[in-house]
Amino acid sequence: MVIINKVHFVTIVFLMIGVILNLIPLPDLLTAIKPPFLLLILIYWSLAFPKHISLTYAFVTGIIMDILLITPIGYHALCFTVTIYLILIYYPQMRLQSSWNKMASLLIILIPYFLMSTAVNNILGISFNLLHVIFSILISVIIWPGLFNVLRFIRQKYTS
Amino acid sequence: MKSDLHFKESNITFLKLFVFLILSILFLFLDKDLEYGNKVRNNISYLIQPVYNLASLPSKISDNIQIYFKNKNELIEENNILKKKIQIQSGIIQKIPSLTEENNRLKKLLDSSISFNSSKILLAELIRVNLSPFSNKIIINKGGDKNLSIGQTVIDSTGILGQISEINQTFSVVTLITDPGHALLGVNTRTKKRIVISGTGDNRKLKAMYIALNEDVMEGDSLITSGLDNVFPEGYLIGKISKIKKDINQDFLDVSVIPSSALSSNREVMVLW
Repeated sequence: MVIINKVHFVTIVFLMIGVILNLIPLPDLLTAIKPPFLLLILIYWSLAFPKHISLTYAFVTGIIMDILLITPIGYHALCFTVTIYLILIYYPQMRLQSSWNKMASLLIILIPYFLMSTAVNNILGISFNLLHVIFSILISVIIWPGLFNVLRFIRQKYTS
Repeated sequence: MKSDLHFKESNITFLKLFVFLILSILFLFLDKDLEYGNKVRNNISYLIQPVYNLASLPSKISDNIQIYFKNKNELIEENNILKKKIQIQSGIIQKIPSLTEENNRLKKLLDSSISFNSSKILLAELIRVNLSPFSNKIIINKGGDKNLSIGQTVIDSTGILGQISEINQTFSVVTLITDPGHALLGVNTRTKKRIVISGTGDNRKLKAMYIALNEDVMEGDSLITSGLDNVFPEGYLIGKISKIKKDINQDFLDVSVIPSSALSSNREVMVLW
């Protein structure tokens, strides 16, 4: 029980860091192709503890994101929930993969996320640039092994 | 027995997914125009403000470091340039009262109504946080406590930026004129024709809509606000026509406009009354 509380605590702390990372201003070009840091952090923790960090986390984090980013409420919540559901289906396979394989699986998981967000963008009439979206996916995949190792180090240090 | 348990758990997950999907789609439909989101943000603005402050801290620190390392001579030179600028501008301003007087007198002679220009200006600083890459909104650090109201015009030193679309206690949200859902009525300064100018979502581009194929527009024409939309006061610079594409199969010309204000690289803006 104590360990589970620790898991929730560390996850919440890292999700807060993810929120801040998402909000930090960057130069114009980088802003457009910035990877979804918060989602990546959420994906890591739900891979590590799929029983505890699951859809409820995704939904609540998404709502908080919507409030902070001034998007229609439900936008990020919808995309995050779907993505984390995919993780919940695939985590047994993903855990066993090598890091190259993990990059490929992340790509497969992120593509539905971006498809979903572009679909919602279209319905709501928010404009977007497809090239930026593709770059954003590629950058997320490239930084994933580094992020994964950093977060795993922290997980091993603080939650075991 | 164990597989049974596993089955149950996946059932619960599926149920959760279903509920959350329905909930978020419902929220999306309700909050299409950011109405409920505004209310939520209004109620918890004291929680949001610290998050924004924390997120804009790095850029503030880097600004301060840049100032710290600036050469003294550079600063003196910059100061001199600014002083000269102020002198020239205040020289120009001296003539404004007499010009308005004259303008009003002439308008009276022509029997047209006298326009009252807004005079009060409030300086506001941008809270530099990175909203979603698709959004054309900025956040400024003045809010309900400074008696702002929705629909007020926000400008910078080179042109019009947008209008206030949401007000919270200590900060407010400005929708830029480049927002795809935003349009305003401008006037071509050369021909005095009115033109509807709408946003494209790209912060470096606007488009002029519903211009007939045979209408008189040229590249380089500058557009100012008309004051007829009852939102923006008259006479502020919107931008310049940069490109005109003519396609006879279309009903209207495809005209792009470059906004004159630095929509994405501002630090300080002005709110008009």
